[in-house]
Amino acid sequence: MDMCGPDNRRLPLVRLAGVRLLTGFAMIWLVASGTFFLVRLMPGDPVADQYHTDLVNGMTPAQARAATALLYGFVPRQPLPRQYVHYLWQLGHLNLGQSVSYEGVPVAHIIAAAAPWTIILVLSGVLVSFAVGASAGVLAAVRRSRPSGVLLTISGGLLYGIPQFMIAILLAYLFTTLWAVLPFGAPYDVTLAPGWNGPFAWSVITHAILPIAAYALSGYGGWLLTMKSSVISVLGDDFILAAELRGMRPLTVARYVARNAMLPLLTVLALSIGFMFSGSIFIEAVFDYPGLGYSLLNSVGKRDYPLMTGTFLVITVAVILANVLADVAYQFVDPRLRRS
Amino acid sequence: VAQTAPAAPPGRAGTDGDRRRIRGRWRLLLGRPGRAAASGVAVLFALMAIAGPCLYPPNLPIDPNNIYAAPSLTHPLGTDFEGTDVLALVVTGSRYVLASAAVAAAVTAVTGLAVGLAAGYAGGPPDAFLMRLTDVVLTIPGFPLLLVLSTIWDFGSPAEMGLVLGLTGWGGLARAVRSQTLSLRERGFVEAARGLGVPGRRIVAVEILPNVAPYIAMNLMLSVTGAIYAEVGLFFLGVVPFRANNWGVMLNIAVFSANAVTSPQAVTYLLAPLVCILLLTLALTTLSGAADEWFNPRLRDL
Repeated sequence: MDMCGPDNRRLPLVRLAGVRLLTGFAMIWLVASGTFFLVRLMPGDPVADQYHTDLVNGMTPAQARAATALLYGFVPRQPLPRQYVHYLWQLGHLNLGQSVSYEGVPVAHIIAAAAPWTIILVLSGVLVSFAVGASAGVLAAVRRSRPSGVLLTISGGLLYGIPQFMIAILLAYLFTTLWAVLPFGAPYDVTLAPGWNGPFAWSVITHAILPIAAYALSGYGGWLLTMKSSVISVLGDDFILAAELRGMRPLTVARYVARNAMLPLLTVLALSIGFMFSGSIFIEAVFDYPGLGYSLLNSVGKRDYPLMTGTFLVITVAVILANVLADVAYQFVDPRLRRS
Repeated sequence: VAQTAPAAPPGRAGTDGDRRRIRGRWRLLLGRPGRAAASGVAVLFALMAIAGPCLYPPNLPIDPNNIYAAPSLTHPLGTDFEGTDVLALVVTGSRYVLASAAVAAAVTAVTGLAVGLAAGYAGGPPDAFLMRLTDVVLTIPGFPLLLVLSTIWDFGSPAEMGLVLGLTGWGGLARAVRSQTLSLRERGFVEAARGLGVPGRRIVAVEILPNVAPYIAMNLMLSVTGAIYAEVGLFFLGVVPFRANNWGVMLNIAVFSANAVTSPQAVTYLLAPLVCILLLTLALTTLSGAADEWFNPRLRDL
């Protein structure tokens, strides 16, 4: 979210966090309303379809209404505003309706089962890409006039733009087929019984290496380029020169640089979390991982609207919250943004 | 910072100066080896998209005796899982990708410029409203939204695909244009025009728009490469109906139906569309630097 508008800067931190949180919730409400009306706009109106199918199958109108309400989280044949309020009320209670393709299973359960796969992989990917990308960025800034620094910058620029499906396909092809050192497809070896034992854990880890590498490589360029430009701008600041002139140890100076150069990375963190959740659709499709992206793609393919809107909502809320958190954290760690 | 003369009278009489300026602009595109290569790649892809599908029959021939053939003179890029020439697939698939990217670029440019100029010049409540809207467009994850939209809207044709990509991708451009407009609005020449009683719409079109142009190129290029990745990604995942061949369809069939990822001999089949996408976006990014200098003579180091 933006940081424009000079009047924002004079607000105390708590109020500012409150305002950001409110805009975040407003955005979530907007998206939730959008998905509600989207389902009503669907060609052939799946809600009415479901209701009529139930009627044809011999249910009484009351039964059919109840069954449809259970599936979609709102009741057909009621005035639209009533349905809308009912839908929002159910959402507030984390009731996302029931899946159509997994008959009768609540959407919230499917999402709860899928989320860990995505969250663990995305977080590992973000951590790895941050560790590698940010340190490479520092190196690229310090050695910017030497060949090694230039090479690092080029590597970041090349990887920055590459789409995730490309990275995923190339990694899979390179390391499972051309040079077959890692397993391909499914989150673990299906011949093993899931449990807390060595072979199974090993299987989960080896299957996770390539997807995590795909996330990490797709985030690497952003971290590197941001860190590099940030370190270069901090290196030119007067307080660094002053610290050097006062004869401070290089390690202390490096700490000054690091603390100040880290600030813009918070924005990259928020951006990259959104980017990774979008990318999970591709990476989970290529590597056959049963996570959120897979579940969204699957529900789109099967026209399972309750599951689709539920997954989309969860992904969007995660991205919006990441943005709000990064925004508030940014104001918190950089007092210059609060005091103008 | 030197001020660009917004309405400098072009030297119509000095044909010599004109010629020098034109030669200078050609040098922008061809002067450096990287840019010359990028221009070459862009022209090649454009020709491919225009003429390519006419060079081949509508249904490409299959050849069961030549499955996953290695590159040879008859099949420069080898063949796919049915023995179809991979080069033919790549060439016929380029039209869709480039056509929808062009539409997406146009829609992004028009929407982003309109929103950015309006918000920056009007200020106040309209600015606040338009920027909140831009925030929403920028924050909602674009690709999941496209997946959801694909269930209610069949945007398989290049025009509709470009439209939907443009409508979800104008946020970055709008914000860049707004911040430029904000600073231009306070400049002397705009104030002078306002003082002379020039209507706001004309000030925006004649005084501000030409000065915003240099900043558009980079943002537009980012949106267009994003649009290319998104459209290929949608076809790759198979959520948009396949009407004609394109690079995304090629990738979808290769990865999800033909098991090319587990076939060591399918190297060229799998890599050809990926390399084409990379070359095209790399060429566009390189040329956006030239476009910056084209509009903004101060950046030229000639």
